[in-house]
Amino acid sequence: MTDELVLEMRGITKKFPGIVANDDVSLDVRKGEVHALLGENGAGKSTLMNILYGLYKPDEGQLLLQGKPAVFGSAKDAIQAGIGMVHQHFMLIPVMTVAENIVLGNEPVRDGVLLDERGAEERVRELSKQYGLAVDPTALIADITVGQQQRVAILKALYRGAEILILDEPTAVLTPQEATELFGIVRSLRADGKSIIFISHKLNEVLEIADRITVLRRGKKVATVSREGATEESLARAMVGRDVLLRVDKPPAEAGEPLLQVDDLHVFDDRGIEKVRGVSFAVRAGEIVGIAGVDGNGQSELIDAIAGLRKIESGTIELAGRTLEHATAREMLDAGLGHIPEDRQVRGLVLEFTIAENIALHDYAEPPDAKWGWLFPKKLVERARTLIREFDVRGGGPLSRAGTLSGGNQQKVVVAREIARDPRVLIAAQPTRGLDVGAIEFLHRRLVDERAEGRAILLVSLELDEILSLSDRILVLYEGELVGEHGADVSEEEIGLEMLGGRRTAA
Amino acid sequence: MSTFALDNPVWNRLRDPRTAGIAGIVLGVVACFVALPPITARSPLYPVLVGIAAAILGLSAALRGLRRLGWGAFAAGLIGIVLGVLATRSSEGNLSIVFTASLIASMFVFSTPLVFGSMAGIFSERSGVVNIGLEGMMLMGAFWGVYGADKGKSWAVGILVAMLAGGLLALVHAYFAIHLRADQIVGGTAVNFLALGITGYFFFQLYNGQDIPIGVSTIPDVHLPYIRHWKYIGPAIGSLNLLVWVSFALVIVTWFVLFKTPIGLRIRACGEHPRAADTVGINVYAIRYGCVVLSGMLAALGGAYLSIGFGGGAYTDNMTAGRGFIALAAMIFGNWRPFGAFGAALLFGFSTALAYRLPAYSGSAATLFQALPYVLTLIAVAGVVGRTVPPAADGKPYKKQ
Ligand SMILES: Nc1ncnc2c1ncn2[C@@H]1O[C@H](COP(=O)(O)OP(=O)(O)OP(=O)(O)O)[C@@H](O)[C@H]1O
Ligand SMILES: [Mg+2]
Repeated sequence: MTDELVLEMRGITKKFPGIVANDDVSLDVRKGEVHALLGENGAGKSTLMNILYGLYKPDEGQLLLQGKPAVFGSAKDAIQAGIGMVHQHFMLIPVMTVAENIVLGNEPVRDGVLLDERGAEERVRELSKQYGLAVDPTALIADITVGQQQRVAILKALYRGAEILILDEPTAVLTPQEATELFGIVRSLRADGKSIIFISHKLNEVLEIADRITVLRRGKKVATVSREGATEESLARAMVGRDVLLRVDKPPAEAGEPLLQVDDLHVFDDRGIEKVRGVSFAVRAGEIVGIAGVDGNGQSELIDAIAGLRKIESGTIELAGRTLEHATAREMLDAGLGHIPEDRQVRGLVLEFTIAENIALHDYAEPPDAKWGWLFPKKLVERARTLIREFDVRGGGPLSRAGTLSGGNQQKVVVAREIARDPRVLIAAQPTRGLDVGAIEFLHRRLVDERAEGRAILLVSLELDEILSLSDRILVLYEGELVGEHGADVSEEEIGLEMLGGRRTAA
Repeated sequence: MSTFALDNPVWNRLRDPRTAGIAGIVLGVVACFVALPPITARSPLYPVLVGIAAAILGLSAALRGLRRLGWGAFAAGLIGIVLGVLATRSSEGNLSIVFTASLIASMFVFSTPLVFGSMAGIFSERSGVVNIGLEGMMLMGAFWGVYGADKGKSWAVGILVAMLAGGLLALVHAYFAIHLRADQIVGGTAVNFLALGITGYFFFQLYNGQDIPIGVSTIPDVHLPYIRHWKYIGPAIGSLNLLVWVSFALVIVTWFVLFKTPIGLRIRACGEHPRAADTVGINVYAIRYGCVVLSGMLAALGGAYLSIGFGGGAYTDNMTAGRGFIALAAMIFGNWRPFGAFGAALLFGFSTALAYRLPAYSGSAATLFQALPYVLTLIAVAGVVGRTVPPAADGKPYKKQ
């Protein structure tokens, strides 16, 4: 890293109706550095980066590239100026090939008019060799893993000659192994003289990879610090403005009768592959059972089956003493199930609806929301207002569209709805994906409180840390089978080994 | 089928339910064709045997999970038997009136407007705009084509005026769909009524609603010098209208542009994931406007073919009579792919041509047969041919942030 500044953002202000997303924010980036951007949900990180990438126009402020002022009217201008962005939600087209996605908008041409497919594949191969990003140029995006898709997204930026690369929460969707790989890639890019802006909520990652760290809070810049001397605690404090407990304390569980009982469950995925193969377990009142596993080992299918969203091939599910056969999602909800789904944008929320409407999504037909088939909108709004306060949803009121909230705040709305309906069994799938440390602390504490209320909680998470710190019992899912069961005192290594199938191959 | 554990390559193939289903459909068609010229089998045994084989194959596919394809093949077998047996019982003389090589020529006559319409639809929908207004754009082409040819004294002028009119109407649709982000189905329907109104009004104003002068310049036929006199092929393709050949070329060009050029890649990107296209600097609005207007011009060509092509310079109110919608069905049938849509258009054209000839047997049955293209349309839209997958962002307005 040199002291040469490649980018300066000065006094950037961006207002959205009712909110100042960026308030006089300044940021500078040096050549060959990894600059992390930290901040709570809705602090304005994505907004700032969208401004840098030419997608939003700032209301005030100035951009300087290599010391010269720059104005971007569109993403095209930013790309030409050497800025590349890997978005929080990838901008890839599933039905097209890797090579087509990478060259889109900048296609190599042969014989004057023809799309040079060979040439494109060749270029992709070269680039992927040069930066050590292994991808198959002819594969369809729909057929590759999320980790590979991310590599494609990075290659897409590099193909356009990006010198400054923005990675918006790149690790939120990656498995720990994939994240480690990504760090290797980031390091080699840095060695190549590229500058990287790295957004993440995971403080340990930031400390591992960043040279300097800028913290935003509620749209304002708090500080820029260098990695030396920073700790997880100091960063968390800067972000949230108070001390944050990074680990939850919880008394030992006082487990009661089993509320959720799954017996010899078999479930197939959409392509007819058996994803859950004879799973049996029970979750008792007042305990948190964590399911650990690498993504794609049957977690989604298991949850969907329990929630009544996927057909059960064979086996039984018993909820609060009732055996529910081929129950619909509605029947499961009525039987006392709460479900925080893993994909908030697809399953958790109707993005076009207001927050109040989203919160009423399950119980809109019952008092106090409705009576004699008549809906009382005022009641919805009232209830939403209480929950927004209780769960600290920021960036909007009961009547704001859910789609305008930042990712983390959308998650809080889902959590608020599910917990507020007082379920007996709560499934929490990736409940903290995309949440900031403050929100994670809040949610974790809340889950422990709900446990004390006597709910049975099934936690499914790809974050081993989260599983270990919250669960009273831990089950390990590998290729659709439960390969291990442990108490809360198990070591990370042991579970890690089982997650990769170590136990089974050894046996 | 597992009882036939023969180690025979054909059997092994047929044990795959998909292959069995497809083979069943093919046999179902064959069952009907063995009784027709040039084979003209006279014993009902042949179509019955072949049809039963088709039905068995279909059943075996259906029972092994491929329900749509399987039952489709089963039905094809039964229909094949019925049609085949009917054919064996009718006189050979009648058969050769109906099933001549010129049936092929008339298939092209009826399929050409559909080919233009479906290619028009493909361009528009591949870029992400549903174009249910094809019908109206075609109608504009039909009327203004005849007007241009009449006043300009040349069919070429007619074609230009038709394309201009179709393009303008498409621009209206584009403005509502892209700029105002209106519902595209509603917008398209409005465009259809608008076209009906405009053409109706001007037809009345300019031609009193009836008398288009006789002898309007029409699009010429292409008489192929030697091939004309060949057996079978000659009557089939020896003297087709110029626009028929243009429609063939259009299919190839459409495929080429969409799948072999950078602009095609961008068009498809806009139809699949406009935001992704936007973030790499593609102007989604420009691409969509371009595609919708092009769509209107192509549809208008199909309309012009109706009035000054094979129509011989005639025009009647609402001349297109739903062909725009059938073109849309052909596009869906063909899975938004040029050659697929072309095949579907030919199928629709063939069934229409057949329906026109069947009065040789019985007038009432023929009327019934005229519904054939519409029945096929229903089948297409219901997705019997397997699941059709529209472009992911088809019909979704795009909003820049
Ligand atoms: N298009 C928009 N319209 C209205 N408000 C918006 C829009 N985009 C963002 N906001 C608001 O601006 C604020 C900042 O959002 P931003 O997406 O930048 O947060 P973030 O720091 O990236 O959060 P997260 O970590 O949750 O992704 C939020 O309160 C959000 O609700
Ligand atoms: Mg963000």
